[in-house]
Parts: sequence; C-alpha cells; structure tokens
Amino acid sequence: MQTAETMINLEDLTKVFPGQDEPAVDDLSMEIYEGEIVVLVGPSGCGKTTTMKMINRLIEPTSGRIFLEGEDVTKVNSDNLRRRIGYVIQQIGLFPHMTIADNIATVPKMLGWDKKRTSDRIDELLEMTGIDLSYRDRYPKELSGGQRQRIGVARAMAADPPVLLMDEPFGAIDPITRDRLQDEFLRLQQEIRKTIVFVTHDIDEAIKMGDRIAILRTQSKIAQYDTPEKILTDPADDFVADFIGAGASIKRLRLSTVDEIEPADWPVARLSDSREEMRNKIRNSGKDYALLLDDRERPKRWVTAEHLELGTPLEEAGRPAVAIVESNASLYNTLDTMITSYKGSAIVVDEGGRYKGVVDFDTVLEAINAMRPQEQTRDRIERERRAGDDER
Amino acid sequence: MTSQATTSKGFDGAARLLRYLGMPIFLAFACLALYLYISSKELDSIERRNINANVITARLIEHIQLAAISTVIVVVLAVGVGILLTRPFARRVTAPIVGIANIGQAVPSIGLLAILAIIWTGGFWPAVVALVAYSFLSILRNTMVGLQQVDRSTIEAARGMGMTKLATLFRIELPLAVPIILAGVRTALIINVGTATLTTFTGAGTLGELINNALRLGREDTVLVVGSGLTAILALFVDWLAGVAEDILRPRGL
Repeated sequence: MQTAETMINLEDLTKVFPGQDEPAVDDLSMEIYEGEIVVLVGPSGCGKTTTMKMINRLIEPTSGRIFLEGEDVTKVNSDNLRRRIGYVIQQIGLFPHMTIADNIATVPKMLGWDKKRTSDRIDELLEMTGIDLSYRDRYPKELSGGQRQRIGVARAMAADPPVLLMDEPFGAIDPITRDRLQDEFLRLQQEIRKTIVFVTHDIDEAIKMGDRIAILRTQSKIAQYDTPEKILTDPADDFVADFIGAGASIKRLRLSTVDEIEPADWPVARLSDSREEMRNKIRNSGKDYALLLDDRERPKRWVTAEHLELGTPLEEAGRPAVAIVESNASLYNTLDTMITSYKGSAIVVDEGGRYKGVVDFDTVLEAINAMRPQEQTRDRIERERRAGDDER
Repeated sequence: MTSQATTSKGFDGAARLLRYLGMPIFLAFACLALYLYISSKELDSIERRNINANVITARLIEHIQLAAISTVIVVVLAVGVGILLTRPFARRVTAPIVGIANIGQAVPSIGLLAILAIIWTGGFWPAVVALVAYSFLSILRNTMVGLQQVDRSTIEAARGMGMTKLATLFRIELPLAVPIILAGVRTALIINVGTATLTTFTGAGTLGELINNALRLGREDTVLVVGSGLTAILALFVDWLAGVAEDILRPRGL
C-alpha cells in the first residue's frame, strides 16, 4: 500500500453550480492510489457524488486540476476520457433496448475493437461476474436486480479501464443480495486490482468495501482520509466519530480476522491418545477441559477429567466440539460464535477443517486492546460528548 | 412445460395473425358490400359521372398523396423540432413553440384552409401546409414526451461511458422514444386522412369531392355512400398499417 503509485490526483478541485453562492465542492485535494478501493462517504448533500463525477468530468470543475495516471486530464476531450474510466451508477442504467452482449460491448465498440475481440471479452466478463453465457442475447428486463447490477459492473469493465467509478452501486438492491454482491465484488477486486472510487452514504458499506475511506463533510471537505481500521480506532474529530456512529469497536472487529490474533494455550489430545495422557494434559494446563481431535486433526469433542472417568467411548465422551470458525472469519463473527457457544470459546480451523487453535474472550479482548492505542483519547471524546448530550 | 410453452406460443401466433389479418379482411368485405350496393342501384347520369372507376381512382390517389406527403413532411419537421426543444439549450423557447403548435391544432382546419386559400392560393400545396400545421402538435408533443420519459440514469450511464451527445441521442434516446413517437405519427396520419376530405373546398380534390358533390346535387343514397364509405375504409386501413408499423418498429426488449 505504501509503495503504490498515485492513480488519480485531485488538485484544489472546486465546483460552484451556476446560480449558487456556495460551492458544492470547495478546494478539494486528494490522492488515490493504484489498486485501492477508495470510498467517499458522507451525509447527503456533502458533495461526494459531485466530487466523483468531476473525476470523469460528467461535472466540469469550476477550478482545480485532475490527473489520471500522471496526465493532466482537466482539459482533454471528456468523451475520450470517460472511455478510459469505468462508470457504475446506482440505477445501473442498462440500455433496455439492447441485449446484454450489446450493453457490455458499448465501450469496446466506441474504441473500435473488432467483433472477435469484443465477443471474447463479453464471454470473459460474463464468466467473471457469474452470469450464464446464455444470457448474452437476453434483454435487461429479463434479469433480476442482482444480475443487472453484475452486468452493470461487467459493462463498466468491458474495455479494462484502470479506474472504476461507482456511485452507490449496491444502493438499490435488497440487503441480502447486496451483501452477497459486495462479497463477490471484493473477491473480484482481488483478481482485477482496479483503482476504484466508490461513493456511498452508508458507513458500514464504506468500512466493508474500502481500502481507504474519505469521510467528507459539507462542500466535500475531507474530515478524515485513512484506512477503515484507523478511522474506527482513531477518529479525527467529533464529526467523524458521530458519523461512524455507535459501535465503532464492534465494527472494527469486522475488519480483523481471527488468524491475526494469538490463540489461547489449550490442552489438545487425539482420540487415539490414552485417557491417562488426556487427564494429565488437562491437569497441567490449568483449564477444566480438553479438546479431542480425530486422526485428521478435526475437532471432535470437549471433555473434562470427569467425562474421562465415565468410560463412555471417547467419540461420544463429553460434549460435541461445536462453535468452530475458519481462520479467515472476522473477529466479529468469531465473537458472535463464542457468545452462543458452550464455554465462551471458539475453535479455529483451517479451510480443510483441521485444528489451528482455540480463542476465548480473554484472547479476543487482549487483541482488541492492542488495536486501540488511542483508547484514552477516544474515551475522553466519548465522555465529553455524552456530557454535552446531558447538558442539552 | 415445453409443450405448454409451444401451445401458448402457437396461440399467441394465431392471435397475432388474426389481429393482423382481421382488419384487411373486414375492409375487403366492406369494399365488396359497397360495390354490390351500388351495382344494385339504377344510376342516373349525375351519379354515373361521379361513380366510375376513373373518377374514384383519381380522387383516391389525390387523397392518399395528400395524406402521405403531409405526414412525411410533418414527421420530419415535428420530430426534428421535438429533438431540438428537448435539448438543454432550448429550455427557454420550449414553451412558446409548443404554444404556437397548439394554435395550429386549435384553429378549425376548415378555417385554416380558407385563410391559406385567400392569402395564397388553392390546390394541393396549401392543403399540405394546412394538414402539416394541423397535425404538427401531435407528433411534436409525442416526440418531446417520448424523449423526456427516457430514464435519466440510462442517459447518464451512456454519457458516463464516453458516448458523445449525438451518439446518445441516436443510439439511446431516440430508439427508446420510438414507441411514443410512433403513436404520435399514427395519430397524425389519421388526422391527415380525415382532414384531407375538407381540402376539396380549396380545390385539392380528394374523396371529399365525392361527398361535397353528393350533398350539393342531392345524391345522398349513392354518391355520398361511396364517398364517405371509401373515406372511412381508407382511414381504417391507414390506421391498421400504422399499427403494424408500430409493432415492427418498436425496439425489442422494451
């Protein structure tokens, strides 16, 4: 991230709409790095969409300059510029009278690609976005909202532009589908590594999607421009803290995965081990129960020393080993699993289901504290704010 | 499932065939009935002078020419003006121009014809001008509504991808406005076919001449039946043609 090149550079951008005294965007400067998703987020009317539309000059800036890949594009032909920048909007705006293939082919056609190349690219994009190739010759109205959204993204990426602008791309989709599309898109971004400017008013979406978040106040003034982790743990001011809203720490937990924390030291034994050995392990560990693994390292049972005395077959001794999370699970999900689990602990496994460790509340708490060096400052801000609320 | 789909498709096909063929068949029968009715009559010399193949064909051709040419002209003019008036730069002049078009339709057509005959001349071209003025509004209004109802986000997407303004107009806006524009064209055609009968008073002939003669000479049960009958049949036929054209020209996927 530190070594990344600057892809987009906005320099003192200002937009005053005709007939208005106040600028919609006032002297905004910001750098956007190659391969990152930068989310512009802020309350409605803060100028985030205007800012984004100035990048592809759907809105011409009143003053200031725009650089794309180091080139000053403030005055170049705007139609040609836009063909180099993918564009996805909330309403998607598929052309209803054109087939899916023709929709996707819009920019390649304008760039004069030959038929074969365009057609191959359409197939590639449909595959990439998980749309069946049989949809090529269908019309947008035959598609579901989620499919249309995918086609919208495919169309924006058709000519493989280095930059994608997305204006609330998941805004008009039901929450369940939205969540799935967001995940899909993040996975896709792992492969394509585009530079993406993403506009939303939803801070949770920003935290989920953004490599970097710019929180904007009115007139597109940057309140804070940083990684989601930093913004959640160390908000620059009250405006940012307010905008993040309650539960910043909980939100922060979504950004870390369980394999980033040190698992607790836990007694582990194999089903093939002797009962004596297990008893010793439990005694020596200071915990009251041990985890039994099968011959393929998969967690099977939780047992206490008493369970071992009962003489039931080990496969059925004690309690089943539930509350299992994969090592790429977020701390948020891990905590959720722990809360509903038997002893307040969760078993971490790898993709193959093999045991990697156990986490409990103490380990998670330790990790959370380590994430928040600015704990004190934040608490103070919080206290002051609450005091202010009381006075009112 | 498959067989059901096939039958329903077959049924749709049959329904469409009936819709497409029903009107021409009906009109053919109407022509035949008209012919048989006149054949059963003993015609006097006045009637024979008005009801014969040469006269009827000549009037019919005049009528069709007048309606067709005026419609072509009005389509070109009104669609063009409609496009211009929906561009952002024309925002200020939109209301006055629509107002003028309104006047064109509000003035009684016969009055407009008379004025043109007085200040200019009679005959074919003044009749064309009158018909154009009279049917201008229906196409203009539909063109404007058709273009304005195109989803803004569709246009924004096109512009955002680097489509030029002109390409957006021709590849996105106009195709999406076609159904509504065609509905206006159809209305204009019907207006023109109907109003063309009135142009006989300023010397443009048309089937209106048969009707006018019949009324002047008191031959209501023969000449009037032929004149008005043929006018009605022509109007229905043109409407049917326009309907078929609408179906064919409507973009798929809408």
